[in-house]
Amino acid sequence: MHRTTETVNAVFQPMAHAGQEGWQAQAEVFWEVFSVFAAVGILVGVVVVAYMMYNVYKYRDSEDASGEVESVEVGELPRDAMSKKSKKLFVSLALSAVIVIVLVVYAYTALLYVEAGPEVEEDAEMHVHVEGYQFGWDFEYENGHVEAGTMRIPENTVVRVTVTSRDVWHNFGISELRVKADSIPGQTAETWISAEEGEYLIECFELCGDAHSQMVATLDVMEEDEFEEWYEGTNPEDETEEAEG
Amino acid sequence: MSELPPKSSVKRWLVTTNHKDIGILYTVTALFFLVFGGILALLIRAQLWGDLGDGRLMSGLAYNEAVTAHGLVMVFWFLSPFAFAFANYLVPLQIGADDLAFPRLNALSFWLYAFSGVLLGISFFQGGTLDAGWTIYAPLNLPAYTPSIGSTTAILALFMFVVGVTASTMNFLVTIHHSRAEGMGLMDMPLFTWSILLTVWMMLFAFATLLAVGLILASDRIFGSLFFDATTEGGSLLWGHLFWFFGHPEVYIVFFPALGVMFEVFQSFSGRRIVGRKWVIAALILIAVQSFLVWMHHMFLTTINLEIKTLMMALTIGISLPFDLIVFALIYTLIKGRIRYTTPFLYSFGALFFIVVGGITGVFLGAIVLDYEFRGTYWVVAHFHYIMFGGATALFGGLYYWFPKMTGRMYNELWGKLQFAVFFVGFNLVYFSMFAAWETPRRVFEYVEAMTPIHRVGTVGAFILAFSFLMMFYIFAHALRHGEKVGDNPWDYTRTTEWAVPSPPPLENWEGRPSFEGGSLNFVSKATDGGHASAHDHEGHADHASIWPFAISVSMLVLLLGLSGLTVWNGREITGVSTGYAAVTAIGTVAFLGSMLQFGREGFSAPQPAVAERWPFEGMDKNKLGTWFFIASDIMVFGAFITAAIFIRFEAGWTTWQPVTDSIYGLVNTFILLTSSFAVVLALVYARRGSKKGTMAAIGATMFLGLSFMAVKAVEWHEKFFIDGVSWATNVQYTTYFMTTGLHALHVLLGLMIAAWLIFRTKEGAYMDDDRPIELFGIYWHFVDIVWVFLFPLFYLF
Repeated sequence: MHRTTETVNAVFQPMAHAGQEGWQAQAEVFWEVFSVFAAVGILVGVVVVAYMMYNVYKYRDSEDASGEVESVEVGELPRDAMSKKSKKLFVSLALSAVIVIVLVVYAYTALLYVEAGPEVEEDAEMHVHVEGYQFGWDFEYENGHVEAGTMRIPENTVVRVTVTSRDVWHNFGISELRVKADSIPGQTAETWISAEEGEYLIECFELCGDAHSQMVATLDVMEEDEFEEWYEGTNPEDETEEAEG
Repeated sequence: MSELPPKSSVKRWLVTTNHKDIGILYTVTALFFLVFGGILALLIRAQLWGDLGDGRLMSGLAYNEAVTAHGLVMVFWFLSPFAFAFANYLVPLQIGADDLAFPRLNALSFWLYAFSGVLLGISFFQGGTLDAGWTIYAPLNLPAYTPSIGSTTAILALFMFVVGVTASTMNFLVTIHHSRAEGMGLMDMPLFTWSILLTVWMMLFAFATLLAVGLILASDRIFGSLFFDATTEGGSLLWGHLFWFFGHPEVYIVFFPALGVMFEVFQSFSGRRIVGRKWVIAALILIAVQSFLVWMHHMFLTTINLEIKTLMMALTIGISLPFDLIVFALIYTLIKGRIRYTTPFLYSFGALFFIVVGGITGVFLGAIVLDYEFRGTYWVVAHFHYIMFGGATALFGGLYYWFPKMTGRMYNELWGKLQFAVFFVGFNLVYFSMFAAWETPRRVFEYVEAMTPIHRVGTVGAFILAFSFLMMFYIFAHALRHGEKVGDNPWDYTRTTEWAVPSPPPLENWEGRPSFEGGSLNFVSKATDGGHASAHDHEGHADHASIWPFAISVSMLVLLLGLSGLTVWNGREITGVSTGYAAVTAIGTVAFLGSMLQFGREGFSAPQPAVAERWPFEGMDKNKLGTWFFIASDIMVFGAFITAAIFIRFEAGWTTWQPVTDSIYGLVNTFILLTSSFAVVLALVYARRGSKKGTMAAIGATMFLGLSFMAVKAVEWHEKFFIDGVSWATNVQYTTYFMTTGLHALHVLLGLMIAAWLIFRTKEGAYMDDDRPIELFGIYWHFVDIVWVFLFPLFYLF
């Protein structure tokens, strides 16, 4: 359980070089995929809506209307006409299928990465076990130390997080880092964090009772040395003794 | 039977069974719940405004209640019933039928719906209503976390609603499959009717699952069984799976009728036929089937594994493609038309815009890696409001479209357009602002400071949206009094047959028998109808009035209200019974059984048409078809219980469980039940031979065997309760054993009651000419036996 600055530096690649060095934090993956989806989504949306508006205007009913009405009579059974429009229908469908499938396959590769997490040496990782309860979060470290309300991790380290719940269904989420996992009683979900120094807001994303809105905690991402110092100072055995004393 | 009083009489509206009257009742009631849910929405938006000077508007608990009730009311008590208001009014008119197949059952469905809403309203005054969100996740849904009596009442209200829905589902399935006028094949049906047909097919399976979920949850809350309490055995996840297995099809259940309205309105106001009609129908069928295969995409962040997630993602993307086809078909229909910008058209066109926005943002959610971050945020809230409220937008268009048909008067077109403009602006302000504020967690009101301006824009938008509804109500109220009178067909390019009859249509809909032979509507008059003369109105005078649906529903409300306060009977002892609630339960039970009996005894005639298109159920009479649909939904109910038992056992470790009871009981009972199946076949044989004594003896033998089954069960349970000292509250294994076999025993008990009724009627001389009721009982009895064949190995052998 000795995490020295050296070992961390050996595996950590600064985010600016993330693409080249092989791994990215979840927030970066999210933003990349989200940007692509947003660009394509907005483009498709604008094209479709513009086309709708154009046609609804062009074929409006007026004095010099360019369209014409198909013979209609009340009570007439519908007939299928395989017109040119039907072919157009399938061309459009094929086009939309291509766009959606390409997008999702692309996103799926990102998913596989996020599911596995970055490949780092095992002793370069750390593990925190999170337990949600009405209405707060407990964080348990590898040495058995448990703390409520603040989760402390060293900066730029891959932290494996397992999440469960003591009572009802919660959801552990850190918006800024794009990290989220369900906190379900009897189940253990997994995710991982890697972040720059700073304080981040942990929120509950599943309705869990009357103080759901106030169910927050802080993620304190500390400088490596600072973290080590704090971590050394935690001794669960002492805590137990104090509690007993 | 009593005659139907005039429309001006209050009594008319309490006793009517006519589909058009019921349609009006649904419309008014659904709009009432729109206001109810809308006021809750305004409370939510006011809370999101921020500090109002001396703190927030509501406490955390009150806010959660508002959020929960808003979701439940809008999804269950507004959206679906609003769509079914049109379905009730228009489906019989569109297919050339006189009414629904079972008019009195239809009235029962309506009153169960209306009074279940009243029950939900009462729950607010019983220490607060449910506050667990409309998804009601476990174990927050249990009394340990939501202890108010009102929470239990809300669950029971939902249960009562679902009972009504289930009856309605069977009714529409039989009607559309069994009462189409001559010459109208399935593929010839108007697209609105098509959308309703597929909706009810989905409802048959989805709502039956919800019925089971409601039973399980009510049993956990009232009797202290442990299904969802068993979190170490996967109780929470079990809820997720069962709820979303219902919940995902439910999205399409509320959305399909809206599509149906859009198809009709786009055709009627562009003067063009829908492009690629048969492909549109194929796409709808594909979606209806696939809707049952994607539920786990609501659970991507739970502990389900990557392989299953991948499969769910692929299926989810797969389901988006037929929707693309439908959207393109709608757009291409407009091309080369002569589009009239009437209010119904503007609403439908606006709905299409909302669906495009909702669809594109839905693709984001389909990508799991993005869904991970969107989970539980306002992105989801914004997306599903664009889809579901987008669907409701089309339904409002439908209200404008069919208002002249339903009332005989035209609304003010200019005001309608203005109202749409206000609605459209308000809608986008509320829901588009949610995309901007998407990082806010759902159902949280203390959000990050920086989001305040965006949420305030949303709140302003919500009040504009609310104002647009006041405008709409005024427009309709004004039109009812002063609107211009309209003839059969106030629009120009309509084609469906509701426009071929007066506005509003007469009680019996048609003069003569409608027929589509030859490709369009014509009427076969009595004189020329030859051999079919009896078809329309001579086989028996059709009844249109019964008070018993109303009475049954009121007494069920009383019964459930009483039950809500009887907190716990855990099988060992009765805890927490208040005399008041016990008395209410007793009154409710007596009234309920009494009105059910009266319903059964009442001679209510609703003859099925002699000539109709019935593919693929030509050889079957409507009662038999209805029975089969009932059995299908009951299979889903048992399926959910059995799935729950198997799921929990897997999570607990399959082999760690041994049968909790001696297998000899199960073996004897299997033998008894299988024998009873032969007895019931004999009953039918004797009835066909016209032997009254033989029939009575065979049904008597069936009853004797059924009672023997119950006796063995009594010995078995007696041993459990009083010798072993266990009950369903002992542990979750006992819960699954007692509740699943208990549900089966209830079915046997119901069967015995029916058998007793049959013997009584046979003695009076019934069934010798018409043995169909005995056959239907036989189908039911065989089904109950077959269920046992599944339960026996599961609970007695392995």
